[in-house]
Amino acid sequence: MTDMRKRRLSRPGLLTLAILAALGLRLAGANPAVSQTSVLSAYKVGGDDWLDPTSGGWKRIPSIEVPLSAQAGIYPSGGGSLATVEVRAAQRDGELYVWVGWDDPTKDVRSDAVERFADAIAIEFPAKASSSVPSVCMGQADSGVNIWQWRADGQNDLAPGYVLHDERSRPTVDFYSEEDRFYPAREVGNPYAKGGDNPVQNLVAHSFGSIGPADQQPVSGRGAWDGGWSVVFSRPFGSPAKGQPAFQDGQVIDVAFAVWNGSEGDRNGKKSVSSFVRLSIGDEQLPQGMSPLGWAILALGVAAALRLSRHA
Amino acid sequence: MARVYNWQLGRNMKYRFERGPTKRQFAAVFNINRCIACQTCTMACKSTWTHSPGQELMWWNNVETKPYGGYPANWDVKILALQEEKNPGRQTWDPSAGDPERAPYGRFEGKTIFETADGVDQMATGYLPSEEEWKAPNSFEDHATGWSPGGAQLPEHDQGWFFYMQRICNHCTYPACLAACPRNAIYKRPEDGIVLIDQERCRGYRKCVEACPYKKSMYRPTTHTSEKCIGCYPRVEGSDPLTDGRPMEPRCMAACVGKIRLMGLVRTEDDGTWSHDPTNPINFLVQEEKVALPLYPQLGTQPNIYYIPPRWVPRPYLRQMFGPGVDHAIDRYMHPSRELLAVLQLFRVSRHIIFSFKIRKGRKYEEVVVGGRKHSIYDDTVIGFDDKGNEVVRVNVKEPVFERPGKLNSI
Repeated sequence: MTDMRKRRLSRPGLLTLAILAALGLRLAGANPAVSQTSVLSAYKVGGDDWLDPTSGGWKRIPSIEVPLSAQAGIYPSGGGSLATVEVRAAQRDGELYVWVGWDDPTKDVRSDAVERFADAIAIEFPAKASSSVPSVCMGQADSGVNIWQWRADGQNDLAPGYVLHDERSRPTVDFYSEEDRFYPAREVGNPYAKGGDNPVQNLVAHSFGSIGPADQQPVSGRGAWDGGWSVVFSRPFGSPAKGQPAFQDGQVIDVAFAVWNGSEGDRNGKKSVSSFVRLSIGDEQLPQGMSPLGWAILALGVAAALRLSRHA
Repeated sequence: MARVYNWQLGRNMKYRFERGPTKRQFAAVFNINRCIACQTCTMACKSTWTHSPGQELMWWNNVETKPYGGYPANWDVKILALQEEKNPGRQTWDPSAGDPERAPYGRFEGKTIFETADGVDQMATGYLPSEEEWKAPNSFEDHATGWSPGGAQLPEHDQGWFFYMQRICNHCTYPACLAACPRNAIYKRPEDGIVLIDQERCRGYRKCVEACPYKKSMYRPTTHTSEKCIGCYPRVEGSDPLTDGRPMEPRCMAACVGKIRLMGLVRTEDDGTWSHDPTNPINFLVQEEKVALPLYPQLGTQPNIYYIPPRWVPRPYLRQMFGPGVDHAIDRYMHPSRELLAVLQLFRVSRHIIFSFKIRKGRKYEEVVVGGRKHSIYDDTVIGFDDKGNEVVRVNVKEPVFERPGKLNSI
């Protein structure tokens, strides 16, 4: 230990080491600064199944941690059982991907009883360019928001062979009509009632109580649970309609997050919400791990620095 | 929070919205004394509206045995307990503060479900019953409070008693479901005051299920939305092909075997009070005779199903359930005026809604003694008219008797 203390690095050695280390880290794809700011970068990526939240690619993308709180707008509704969510973003071939992960030991995938509520996550964008930021709480009259919501029960309903009313009715009912007219919510086109093939809903809102489905449903999503949820949303860059933002390279846009924990009775305004954070849809390529060149330069740098320090 | 007038409480109260533009109000009178709990109403409703997947536990109309029965289980005990907890010892009435028109039952000095709510998590005090609580809609059927070995006599069966409580959505003037919906997906129709959940906007938050004190908003898991009694509005508005364009009573009313139900539409004033309209049978029974009373008016929603209280039940229980007007209502029912006796004949004699009635006087045909009081009975004729003034029914107080000649009896 005494020897080590005596072997101090000289100033040129330190400088060289720092430069080379930074170069090495850069080439290795690590960007420690990102995780300490609230800017979420959508890296350019290729290959991989990016809609799969468990895909290895997502682990290589730097994440940021977004704090959440109880919903405390002009019409507070409680919630706030979750402190933070971890988020990542990527872009590939003109499609934006957002990955969100959070701890949730209770996997609530069913809403098939009156007292049972499902887990869910939503991400929210301002309808227009980020120069005028709407209220994070559902926007306002002249400045709406576009919300993508993934629901665990929506995804569960799509599971092969799952019949919602099976358990309850099978023993006693001989015949049911499956016609839509006996499901008024389906008959009138309530997308929430209709099920379909997508657990994500593309919604628009311009004030409290105004949220409703957008005419177009171009947002995809998938969730996976392993002691917590990881969910990926994706949508092509082009705006599907007025009130829903277009994305483009080099753009910085606001994005906010909300999480519902079914076990806590969370639904509607009862949720854990974030403020807006910045999403940078840059042209940064996602480094494919530590390249051999990076390792070589880092090793050379360390060796050179040590050598310089000995000669000092 | 707006301030609205609740005539059933005889005072202003807090509500989330100003009163809407309702001009006519769906209302009905149920005569508890006549109900035999055959559940024909229940099945008429079920087979019309709630026979599909996800509606298995849904009974928009139900008949439960009081005091122990309830659908969902103990719904009324639970909401009364929540209210008592929030305003202990002060959920009381001042019957002396009455005004015949604007405060017929006196003044409620306690707090409504809107006034005990925190306004944060809840717009109205309530609770969300679990699935288990909806699974036994007719538990405690025919259970009395006790055994009366010596039999029971009016005026009160104080040892053992029970009665049937017929329940549908009250299409309240100040609905708690409507106040609670964060999406404003529930609305009250101006033309008839029927309260509906917009199935396109509902997202199944179940705040209405939690807030409705009568628990008549129900969750349907197959659509992830809540549904409720729609007052058979296609019949009420006369758009159902069956109606020939004439307003018709809902299925539960038209199917009533015991002839306990009479439905109508009453005109309302801007402050939520009823217009003076003594020829409308519902106005006559509720306003003029005060023989029919709202269910748990103290909750504050101004419900619109009115009950003629069961005359054998101990009064403290009934006062808790129907307010301080109980003694008067039972007295009127036991000793009816000549007009009341005639109007009581209008129950379930027409499928078409009776908007007004006339009484043609008949001869006196009987004298009876009830509770020590002598009554003369007249064979008056009561005539019911539809919304356009066309006669829809004519019926006499004295029920016609037909004797079948013995020779035709082939049994």
